Amino acid sequence: MNVVNIEHLSRSYGSRVGVESVNLQVAEGEIFGFLGPNGAGKTTTIRVLLGLLRPSSGTATIFGLDCWRQSHEIKRHVGYLPGDLRLYPWFTAQSALRIVGQIRGQDLALFGSTLAERFQLDPTLAVRKMSRGMRQKLGIVLALAHQPRLVVLDEPSSGLDPLMRDELNRCLRNLVAQGHTVFFSSHSLSEVEQLCDRVAVVRAGQVVANESVDSLRDKAHRSVSMRFRDATTANSIAVPDFLRVVERTDATWHCDLLGRTPELVRWAAQQPVDDMTIAPPSLESLFRRFYQPEEESP
Amino acid sequence: MIAGLLRKTLRETWKPTLLFGMALFVVEALITAVLPTLQTGLNDILTTLPFIRTFIQALLGSDLGENITAQMLQSIAWVHPVVLAIVWAQEIVFCTRVPAGEIDRGTIDVLLSWPATRRRVLACEMAVGLASGAWLLAMGFAGNRLSEFASSAEAHPPTSRVFIVLVNLYCVYIAIGGLACFVSTMSDHAGRAMAVIFAIVLASFLLSFVAQFWRPAAQLLSLGILSYYKPAQILATGNVSWGDMALLATVGAILWLAACETFARRNICTV
Repeated sequence: MNVVNIEHLSRSYGSRVGVESVNLQVAEGEIFGFLGPNGAGKTTTIRVLLGLLRPSSGTATIFGLDCWRQSHEIKRHVGYLPGDLRLYPWFTAQSALRIVGQIRGQDLALFGSTLAERFQLDPTLAVRKMSRGMRQKLGIVLALAHQPRLVVLDEPSSGLDPLMRDELNRCLRNLVAQGHTVFFSSHSLSEVEQLCDRVAVVRAGQVVANESVDSLRDKAHRSVSMRFRDATTANSIAVPDFLRVVERTDATWHCDLLGRTPELVRWAAQQPVDDMTIAPPSLESLFRRFYQPEEESP
Repeated sequence: MIAGLLRKTLRETWKPTLLFGMALFVVEALITAVLPTLQTGLNDILTTLPFIRTFIQALLGSDLGENITAQMLQSIAWVHPVVLAIVWAQEIVFCTRVPAGEIDRGTIDVLLSWPATRRRVLACEMAVGLASGAWLLAMGFAGNRLSEFASSAEAHPPTSRVFIVLVNLYCVYIAIGGLACFVSTMSDHAGRAMAVIFAIVLASFLLSFVAQFWRPAAQLLSLGILSYYKPAQILATGNVSWGDMALLATVGAILWLAACETFARRNICTV
C-alpha cells in the first residue's frame, strides 16, 4: 500500500517553476530518500505534502487523503521536521511536549522524554539558549514523539554531529521496523545511501531518477586507473567501448568503466599495463551526473 | 486540541498583555485624577481660544454645547490619544502575530504541522485576543474607578455609564482587531501588516479631526472608526447608541471571518 502518492504534481511561484509534473509513490514501511541539489524542488514537494502549498496542478495524497483539503487529518499521523527549522524561543523540550501533546490529544511526555534522553537534550533548556544542533534535536524529538505513521524529514541531519546522526538513523530504522514510513529529504548522498531503501532524485523541479538504492548501485560506474609502460604507449592505445577516459596524465588513464569487470580484465591482460586499480561502484559520481544541468548530463 | 492551542497563545502573549494592561491602568488613573483640576476656568479658555473647543469636540466626537460639564470632561479619559494608542498598540501587536508574525519568524511550519485546521488556529488566537481585550479594558476601568473614588464625589459619572463606554470601546477593539487579523492573513511580514493597520487607524483618527475644520472631510466621517465611539454622549446623557456598537461588532466579526477564510485558502511560503 502506498502511503504517499503524488501524481503529475506541478507547483509554480509566479513565472518560476517549483516542481513540474512530479510522480512519486512511497510504500508503507520504507525509508524513501528524496535527493536533489539546493533549489531543485525538494522543499516545495514537501510543503505540498504538508498542506502548506496548494498544487498548481496534479494531486498529492497521504494515506489516501488529499494533502490540501484534508491536511489537518493527515497531520494526526505525520511527524514533520522542516528544512529551516524555527521553534518558539520560549519552548523547552518539556513545555513543547506538553503543549504539542495537548494539541495532538496524546500524552507525549513518556516517549518524548525517552527520545530527548537519546538525543542528549536538556528538557528544561529554552530554545533561545540552545545551539543550532540542540534546536534540530528538539525538532526531531517533536517530529517523532507521537510515533507517527509517516515521518517527513527535510534535511534532518543539518547541525547534528556524527553521533547524533547515527542516533537519528537508529531511531528511523526502529520506526520502520514497526511498520512506519520515512520520507527523508537530503542533498547528501552518503546519508541517503546509508539509510534509504529507495531514492528519487529531483533536479530543476523534475524527478530524474526513482529507483532502489541497489539498482542505482548497479548503474553506477566503477572508476578505473591504468598505468601504462610510458606516455607514448598510453597515447597509442585505442580506447575500448567499455571504457570512458576521464583524464590522462602521462602514462596513466583515469576512466569510468561502462562495461563489466571481466571484460576489462581480459582486455587489460593483452595490453602493456604496468598497474591497474578498479574502485567499487561510486554512487557519488552517478549522482553528480544527475545533478548536472540537462545539457551536460549523459 | 483547543486547550493546547490556547495555552500556546497565552504562553506567548501574557507578558505584553499584562504590561499593556498595567500601562492602561496607570494612564487612566492619572488622566482621571488630573481632569477635575482642568474644569475650573476651562469654559473661559474655550471662549477665548475657540480652536481648543474644536479639538476637544473632535476628540469626543460630539458637540460640547455652551458649557463643558464635569461628566463630559471625564469622557476625555476614554478618548485620550494615549489611552487609544495603548489599546490599539496591544491589539495590533497581538493580531499580527498569526499568520504574518509566524511566517516572518519561520515558526509557521511548526504551527501548521500540528493537526489543527487553520480556521481553528485562528479562532483560538481570536478567543485569546478577545479575552486580552477584556482584560485590558478592565484594567483601564480599574484605574479610572480607583482615581475617581479618590477625587470629589461630584465628578463621578455613574458606573453603569462608564461600563457602557467600555462596551463601546470593546466594540472598537473588536473592529480594529478584525481589521488587524485580516491584514495579517494577507501578509508575510508582521512589520508590514502593522504598518498598514497603523496607517488605517491613524487615518481614521485624523479624519475625525480634519472633519471639524474641512467640510468635504465631514462627508467621509462615517468611514472613521471614532464616529461610532461616543463616550461623551454616553457619559453626559446616558443615551446608548446600540446601532453604532452593533455596526462595529458586525464589521469586526465579518473581518474575523474573512481573515479565517483567507488564512485557510492561502499558500504559506517562508522562502
